[in-house]
Amino acid sequence: MRELRSQRQWSQAELAERLDVSRQTVNAIETGKYDPSLPLAFAIARLFGQPIEGIFDPDA
Amino acid sequence: MEIRKACSRRLRGCAFASFAYLATTALSVWLLKGPMTDAPTSLRAMVSLLPLIPIGFAIREVLHLVRASDELQRRIDLEALAVAALVVGLACLSLGFLVSAQVFEIKGSSVLIWMFPALSVTYVLARVRAQRHYR
Repeated sequence: MRELRSQRQWSQAELAERLDVSRQTVNAIETGKYDPSLPLAFAIARLFGQPIEGIFDPDA
Repeated sequence: MEIRKACSRRLRGCAFASFAYLATTALSVWLLKGPMTDAPTSLRAMVSLLPLIPIGFAIREVLHLVRASDELQRRIDLEALAVAALVVGLACLSLGFLVSAQVFEIKGSSVLIWMFPALSVTYVLARVRAQRHYR
């Protein structure tokens, strides 16, 4: 997710605002400390125009 | 930004409720130990329950705060509440055993009055710890 965000030159705060979550949530997802719920994962995938499995690896 | 604004607003409400709670508690204790010592029981009961007004407001603000939070914040809150409930619950249980064993005596009213502040402080500490974990 960090790569996709960097490609768009968004800050964590900017991405958080677009997803309507806190910056801490974006950071925790990017550092792998938190796995998002299915609705949030869908929202992230929709925002980046990618399939969920293209962003999140279930085996990671 | 919406989520941050909503949370800040609710946190301000909680802070206001906490100050109001302290003020009404102090007022209630002062009234009951001073001017209202010989007042009728019903009046004394009403005055002793004065702090419930800000507590009711705090409950409303906390509910709005949780609803305005995102999923990670809710998880952090849940972890903090679980830790706080267990720590305070087990502390009360231990106290109960010690009092039953007549190691020392403690007034029941003191335990009941300190329960909520103990729960609040433990919750805040546990929340700081949980928040650090996800940082």
